[in-house]
Amino acid sequence: MQLTPPRRGRIAQALGLLTANLLAATCAQAQALSPAADAPPDAAAPRVGVNDDTQSDVGLTRLNAAVLFYSESGGRVKATEPVVSVTVNGSSGAVLTGRFTVDTLTGATPNGAAPWTGPQTFTTPAHAPGTTATVTGSSGGSTLVTIPGTGTVARQYVTPANTLPVDAGFRDLRTAVDLGYATPVWDGGRLSFGGSASTERDYRSYSGNAGLSQDFNQHNTTASISAEFEYDRSNPFFGTPTPFTVMSADAKGPARTKTVTSAVLGVTQVVNRYWLAQLNYTVGESNGYQTDPYRVLSVVDSVTGAPSQYLYENRPGSRLRQSVYFGNKVAWGPTVTDASVRFYHDSWGVNSVTAELSERVPVVSWLYVEPLARYYSQTAANFFRDYLIAGQPLPAFASSDSRLGKFQAQTYGLKVGIPITGHSEFDIPSSEVYFQVQDYKQTGSAQPGGVVPGLAHENFFSGVQAVSVFAGWTMAFY
Amino acid sequence: MQNDGRRRARARAGLGIALLCVGGILSACASVGPAAWDHDLMARKSMQLNTHPDLMAALEHSYFSKEGASGGRSFVGGGCGCN
Repeated sequence: MQLTPPRRGRIAQALGLLTANLLAATCAQAQALSPAADAPPDAAAPRVGVNDDTQSDVGLTRLNAAVLFYSESGGRVKATEPVVSVTVNGSSGAVLTGRFTVDTLTGATPNGAAPWTGPQTFTTPAHAPGTTATVTGSSGGSTLVTIPGTGTVARQYVTPANTLPVDAGFRDLRTAVDLGYATPVWDGGRLSFGGSASTERDYRSYSGNAGLSQDFNQHNTTASISAEFEYDRSNPFFGTPTPFTVMSADAKGPARTKTVTSAVLGVTQVVNRYWLAQLNYTVGESNGYQTDPYRVLSVVDSVTGAPSQYLYENRPGSRLRQSVYFGNKVAWGPTVTDASVRFYHDSWGVNSVTAELSERVPVVSWLYVEPLARYYSQTAANFFRDYLIAGQPLPAFASSDSRLGKFQAQTYGLKVGIPITGHSEFDIPSSEVYFQVQDYKQTGSAQPGGVVPGLAHENFFSGVQAVSVFAGWTMAFY
Repeated sequence: MQNDGRRRARARAGLGIALLCVGGILSACASVGPAAWDHDLMARKSMQLNTHPDLMAALEHSYFSKEGASGGRSFVGGGCGCN
């Protein structure tokens, strides 16, 4: 029984050494294959992109303004997100950044219950504790009712037969501020600090971070380490429900909090004249309230699938996330390839792979295009359930959140950039407008394995299909 | 308690692996890369790791709100109640 931990330690140690050696060998090979290593400085020099500025950032100020329009199909979430930001580069190499974001959200979100062959009625609190103001109104098909015998005012909505239940009363406004400062501290060394604050009607988040980076090897290698601490406070409209209690109009418990501590270790390497690579290892631990207070699970009959209760979900209070990210930028003449892959694992059992590829192609002096594709795949958390079976013991944790289920996602998009001024590399001030349109689609299994017979014809997959348009403007001046 | 211990052991193993990787890379790549006068292409805006930070932030936030994974390019926190 006591042999397991040391054995894992040895395996981890061996894997670490093997990985390090493999990467070291890759780097050595990259050095040997580098076409720039033996070539004269200007040999086979690709022409710098006609609309690709290379001005020095020292003393430069950048102003940016943009807006994101986001829409999910099926009447789900719609968002409009304006953002403004500024970057000020000092003459000494210090950089100050600030960003202000507003996010307006409306639409419907799955409430977690399973579909059923008959209509389903859901009852939630209508008022925040201690107030008489209706928190979500009667929009989105909801109605206000008084529970007989109690006088409690509740909000009710009905889901038609054979339809995935969604709560259409979702509405929120998020504002966020991000600040950052980085400064040289010694030759090749940079220290950075940052902080952010984000508020929603029912959620607040604050974070602070610090990092240190160091250039080596004639500025070809940069190693960095950074850490962040985040404090979040969840204050749902009607209070925080006790996990696995029955969905009802009763007021719930007080606000809950969680903390997230994370760190990023990174190495950026100029592999050769044309290739820039980045390798990051990220680790983060979340502790505290991580349950979705609005989400429920159906408790269904083991044969007919008829729902008898809707219980509030329950997630573990701790989550450890780890990921390895490998990004690359490669210049092919005037075009640039951006290719990356990320491997992710967490203690809830979610494993995922993400791969992204884009190619920036200058068309004429005032236009470039950048088609892009992204693939994402994840396994389900070990406590993911589409529903619970009546009469069976409750599991320790359960959630039907599709974000914790198994699915794949494909994204296709196109970015278009139009430099307005500054077509040559030293034109200042320069400005650019850019647009990115993308289509995102999640795919997955419609039914869990071993589904109860009465639900064999229902579609449980609540994956997202979304279209987004991002329009931005940026201007740089000394 | 046992799960916490295992998780911490795994985290320590992961951190150890990462440090070994970083050490290995730094030592092995100490002489990799072009000479200073061959850094011209790296100065292009299109060769920066994040050419449009506002767009990247919006996309990362959008993915974070719909998917179980987060982090990689940066920290794992999301700063919102959407996940």
